[in-house]
Amino acid sequence: MNSLLEQFLSEARDFLQGIGEKLMQLESDPTSTPLMTELFRFVHTLKGNSGLFDFPEMTRVLHASEDLMDAVRNGRVGYSQKLADELLEAMDFVGVLMDEIEAEGEIGKNHATTATELAQALRSLISDSKVSTPVAEQVSIDSFSEDGPAVKAISWDELPTLNLAETVAIELYRCAINGDAVFWIEYTPEPECFFKGEDPFFLARQVPDNAWRNAILNNTASSLVEMDVFSSQLVFQFLTSAPAEELDDLFRYVPDQIHRIEIPALAFVKPIGNTDESVIDDDFINNTLLLLENDDLDGVARTIKTMLELSAPELWSSSALRWVLQLIELEPQNKAAQRLLLESLRTLTPPDWSTLTHSVQINSITTNPVISVDISEFPETLLRDFHTVINAQREILSLPANTSGEWSVGRLKSVAVSLIGCYRAINQAHEVEAIDAALQNALAENSPTPLLTWLESALTNVPELTVTEEDPQIATIFPVATQNEVKFGRRVEDTTAAATASKTLKVDQDKIDRLMNLIGEMVVAKNALPYLANRAETVFGVRDLAREIKAQYAVINRVAEEMQDTIMQVRMMPVSFIFQRFPRMVRDISRKLGKEVELVLEGETTEADKNIIEALSDPLIHIVRNSLDHGLEQPDVRLAAGKNAAGKLLIRASQESDRVLIEIIDDGKGINPDVIKHKAYEKGLIDEATLERISDQDAVNLVFAAGFSTADVISDLSGRGVGMDVVRSAVEKVNGTVGIESEVGKGTRLYLSLPLSMAVTNVMIIQSNQQIFGVPMDIVVETVRVPSIHIQRIKQKQTTVLRGRIVPLLSLNDLLASNVAQLPNEDNEFATLIVRVHGEHVGILVDEFRETVDIILKPMTGILGGLAGYSGAALLGDGSVLMVLNPRELI
Amino acid sequence: MKHILVIDDAATVRLYHRNILETAGYSVSEAINGIEALEKALVKSYDLYVVDVNMPKLDGYGFLKEFRRHEDITQAPAIMVSTEAGTHDKALGYAAGANLYLTKPIKPNELLSYTRLLLGDVA
Repeated sequence: MNSLLEQFLSEARDFLQGIGEKLMQLESDPTSTPLMTELFRFVHTLKGNSGLFDFPEMTRVLHASEDLMDAVRNGRVGYSQKLADELLEAMDFVGVLMDEIEAEGEIGKNHATTATELAQALRSLISDSKVSTPVAEQVSIDSFSEDGPAVKAISWDELPTLNLAETVAIELYRCAINGDAVFWIEYTPEPECFFKGEDPFFLARQVPDNAWRNAILNNTASSLVEMDVFSSQLVFQFLTSAPAEELDDLFRYVPDQIHRIEIPALAFVKPIGNTDESVIDDDFINNTLLLLENDDLDGVARTIKTMLELSAPELWSSSALRWVLQLIELEPQNKAAQRLLLESLRTLTPPDWSTLTHSVQINSITTNPVISVDISEFPETLLRDFHTVINAQREILSLPANTSGEWSVGRLKSVAVSLIGCYRAINQAHEVEAIDAALQNALAENSPTPLLTWLESALTNVPELTVTEEDPQIATIFPVATQNEVKFGRRVEDTTAAATASKTLKVDQDKIDRLMNLIGEMVVAKNALPYLANRAETVFGVRDLAREIKAQYAVINRVAEEMQDTIMQVRMMPVSFIFQRFPRMVRDISRKLGKEVELVLEGETTEADKNIIEALSDPLIHIVRNSLDHGLEQPDVRLAAGKNAAGKLLIRASQESDRVLIEIIDDGKGINPDVIKHKAYEKGLIDEATLERISDQDAVNLVFAAGFSTADVISDLSGRGVGMDVVRSAVEKVNGTVGIESEVGKGTRLYLSLPLSMAVTNVMIIQSNQQIFGVPMDIVVETVRVPSIHIQRIKQKQTTVLRGRIVPLLSLNDLLASNVAQLPNEDNEFATLIVRVHGEHVGILVDEFRETVDIILKPMTGILGGLAGYSGAALLGDGSVLMVLNPRELI
Repeated sequence: MKHILVIDDAATVRLYHRNILETAGYSVSEAINGIEALEKALVKSYDLYVVDVNMPKLDGYGFLKEFRRHEDITQAPAIMVSTEAGTHDKALGYAAGANLYLTKPIKPNELLSYTRLLLGDVA
């Protein structure tokens, strides 16, 4: 037995003895106030002590005794021999319980009834002597089904505040009275639930027999600025009369996130409405109460109905009267409740049902109060407690002068000390000076105002937890996101690191590359966990383990993604690395060509992976040379065309989601599609038929065709045999795309779109002919299911119309020359992958879509290296090899 | 080491508080009523007072009112611990000189957290 319990028992015996003695003395001097006060104090203290332990039977009896003694002390109940007998009997019972605790360490099961009876007997003494005090009636709040979540008895204080429409409340009340338990459910999804494949909203909508539901922000919710959209901050609340088993089944995967309470019927009895006026007077209430006492329920109902006809229905009093009718109909025996409700009409405040249910006792401290303090719990609660204390000081300082009396030095000082303590405890010691200064002023004025003023100004900063620049200290107290940190998924360290002076560490690039490869491997290796979870569930049948693995996967997944993000950041460099060469280059070239050029660079700080920047360097230089050489005209030509003598060349970099866009725009003569067409025809790149019908845009795109060069004279500047086709292949090598737009006489716009990085490739897995293949996500436009009747054949080619556009369809099996028909699904629809190849949308028919995964693409080497249809291979989480298609070549 | 005076007529409660506070490294003294508390507090100044309301001879309100009158020694914060949750009782406690008003039963972590805050100790 622990020392606290020993102490309790020995002290309790003294109290029991003291109570006995005082009662004896009272017999000889029944009106002695000091004796009664003393007696009350004994019982009160004993009850308080027992509340530290989980001895509900003992506490119940002592609570009733305390209430009785309180009534005696206040003169509401007169002292009598019977009262003394009952009290002594109750104390004897407590003594028996203590013996058992001492012997067994706990209270036997068979005492609950005795305790209830004793408590009722004691309470009946209180109510016997005063009619208006409601009879203590036991409303037992049963616990839920044995194995349900969060089973515990609850007290009225713990019931949620219900704000229901009267009709809904009446319906629920009737349910509860008729024996269908009404449950209050609070479902708090885990913040990281979205990473576990849970759909809280869907689950919330599945709750059967919903009478009422609501969704609120949980108390950890942060302001909009700090909101992490990837974490759930909602709490769902429901009232439902569905059977407990059904609810258990519904929430079987998240039992720990469910808080379920059975709501006692009376909790729904809560009149609502306008309390500003009432037509009910005391006479009416007294008469109705009298009828009630005489058991004339019909009379009560009649009176109330008459009154209801006289009053406006939206009044609070009318609502209360309607409730009385419900009570009379459904709980005719529950006089106490009816009486309490009628009494509430005097004050127009809702009846406090808890006064009827003293027997429900709750102790927040568990059986064995060995005091262990969980230090790790502090950070979450510290802030809340901080506010509690600070607000208490504000309350103290704002007490009206008449209640607070004169402001003694001690009180002012103690408030200041408390405030200083609070700020110290959260590492804000520098506030101390300000508080001290305010205290000195307060002492000088002998008034709390200076302290209060300081406190109010401090509080305007603290409660919202907003981080403003004038308030840098707040950021260190509350380690939450700052404003420039809205980027999702970044850790706090990122910003704190940025805040301190940036330090540079030079690292060999090989090391970074190696680290990146390793992280890439890990990103892929973590994919094995979902497979494992799946096997745990399907092969080994351990669903709980599967759940835990998935939970762990979610964590690892986030860390891995962050690691990947971070290493990408390390490898990022600004495009200014290439851009900085341009001013000199443009100047030199334009001099040589005798042209005047105004060069404008934009977005030089845009970042991209080092490899990509490096791969981009030569193509960009080539494009710029081309623009200067072929695009911009000589000054006299420009003037004749009504342009400025100086040509304008704009090189702009910008970031668009996960890609970098680089544009080279000149206001030169543009590209004449006719010239291009004819050149291409002369060089045998297009046939005569194509020459006739090719569109202007397609003609301009021909500059990217292999072996195309338009310059009449191969200058030493641009025509070195390196055509635009080389630019295109260099860009496509790093998974980029290149495009051109031109208008004759106005200028040309060339643009490169490049991925930010190339370490990990996101691919979609598809299935065809019983094999799986990967398709890079960056070329997938969408996935659709095309019903077979919507597939038309045009000249041996399959097509379909998708949103008004004709899309050519190709079968993957045909492309891979396997000569097997694609399989439609049961509804005779074909899984179709719409991909963008060379700026056109093409549908590829496959058998089935699967998930998307992150992989590290390894190029094929050796003999397989010649297979242009594949861009490489990758290892999957289960160890199998995934071949990744290269639709650009395949089609 | 910071010194805390726990004032409560119930030995069990005193032990309960003592256990919590000593576990966290505070030194604890006890007084069984307001009179004894005053006797102790006027001789030695404590860093924090944990005061019960209902006590024989001199209750918590009485103790705090008297104690706060002694200007030189009286700046230490006081936590008032009561079974009454009403706002009136709370206001009385604050007017008497309490800096925080808590309702029983008090959880260990709660008491400790408030103690640390009032004493300016970082957990």
